[in-house]
Amino acid sequence: MPSDMNTIFAAFQDHINVEQDLREEIRQVNKDIDQKTREIQTTLQIIHHEGGLLKISECCAQSRKLFLDVKSGFSKLSSIVPENEYYRFHDHWRFGMQRLAFLGALTVYLETGQMAMIEEVAQLLGVTTRREEGFHIDLEDYLMGLLQLASELARFAVNSVTNGDYKRPLHVSQFVAELNSGFRLLNLKNDGLRKRFDALKYDVKKIEEVVYDLSIRGLKPEEKPEQSSST
Amino acid sequence: MSHRDGHHGRGRRGGGHRPWRPQVGERGKQVIEGLDENSPVIQSFRKFAADLDAKHDRYERLVKLSRDTTIESKRIIFLLHSIDKESKREGVLTEAQNRIAHLNSTIFKEIAKELKGQDQYQYLRAFSAGIQEYIEAVTFLFYLRDGKLPHWNELQQNLIYEEESIHLVPVEFFLGVGDLTGELMRCCIQSLGTGSTKSCYEACSFVRDIYIGFMGVSNTGNREFIRKLSVLRQSLSKMEMACYTLAVRGNEMPKHMLADVFSSSERHEEGADEGFCID
Repeated sequence: MPSDMNTIFAAFQDHINVEQDLREEIRQVNKDIDQKTREIQTTLQIIHHEGGLLKISECCAQSRKLFLDVKSGFSKLSSIVPENEYYRFHDHWRFGMQRLAFLGALTVYLETGQMAMIEEVAQLLGVTTRREEGFHIDLEDYLMGLLQLASELARFAVNSVTNGDYKRPLHVSQFVAELNSGFRLLNLKNDGLRKRFDALKYDVKKIEEVVYDLSIRGLKPEEKPEQSSST
Repeated sequence: MSHRDGHHGRGRRGGGHRPWRPQVGERGKQVIEGLDENSPVIQSFRKFAADLDAKHDRYERLVKLSRDTTIESKRIIFLLHSIDKESKREGVLTEAQNRIAHLNSTIFKEIAKELKGQDQYQYLRAFSAGIQEYIEAVTFLFYLRDGKLPHWNELQQNLIYEEESIHLVPVEFFLGVGDLTGELMRCCIQSLGTGSTKSCYEACSFVRDIYIGFMGVSNTGNREFIRKLSVLRQSLSKMEMACYTLAVRGNEMPKHMLADVFSSSERHEEGADEGFCID
């Protein structure tokens, strides 16, 4: 093989080696983040348990504590990933970040009854909201997180009734309906986000059925659902 | 009828009007009808919509530019194939060179402008096909002119503009080189026809060197890469058969008949290839 051809392929091999080392480093950090993600997830599952409704503030505090570890994980990642190459490695953390966006939004919802803005989620994860400002959360990943939140809340509505809280489903219903109308303002391409959004209607339906069951049996509380948000 | 169709077509592009809506129940309807513009949720979704649209629009513009690049690059490659006589060579090479320079200063400049201040990797898929075809054309020109493969940095230099630039991703470069071998095979078979045995052998050994280079590189995990390598292997074996034919039967018959002999044996090979490439 002529020497110039040799040089070119050797240079390519060097390039591949550098990239693979970087990916390996990212994978290591990702492992820690994934571990914490699972811990947060299990912590928050308490809300579906009998008597879990009383422990909500406790488990939100616990989740926030775990988010601090996630934060340090992302700060490590942001130091590894070269500037302007976020999307070169995006696949490594994309799904993890979606899950974390969901868990962050769930924590905020349980605390305040409000939708977590992208800024709040970014703050929990210790990342920015805009690419120009550094390591950020991709808008679509955040939106995916919100869609996962809707599914979780549908489950939450069902289980709250089982656990004797008839007010909560009304609030969840209003919250998810607003989320739904928000999503309908977006022009989605035929991509993953669109597919996930298509599933939102089943969550809406499930929650509405719960509300319906409560109202025909006269179990619907008199107060306006907004007041139930303080728990 | 035609009016309705026209409207529908526009709607599908998804401007403001959306033909598809999810089924929502009574409660959902109430909320949607009484869309509260002051609600922070709705306000932030309006902003998200603008951000997403901006991203999708940029992506689509890049896809369009990429398609234009592909078309022009294919034409340049076709032009380069038209070198069959030494006398035409200089003229064709100069024209190809000018057209590539023109491509650099027009379409690629547009692409660079779109990518300015962006993360190029976010949009890589939008213009990947175009850039590979372009690399194929440029490396083909380099081969015909200098008989060697350029380093990707040489190509990179042409894609740097005053304020913006396109970063040439090495993997894309080598995918383009993979395509180049297909052109070289065509070139090699064609030279059989014109009786230029020297260029036939040259092309074959050049592709063999590329093949060796590809084999030496560790697996990148890129699926496209693996596919290109198997096509490369097929092209190479066709070229090696052509050289073999030339060596064995080159003295037996007039040169212009060799191409016919080869193309019939190639057809025969084609069947066999199918069996090999399954693995």
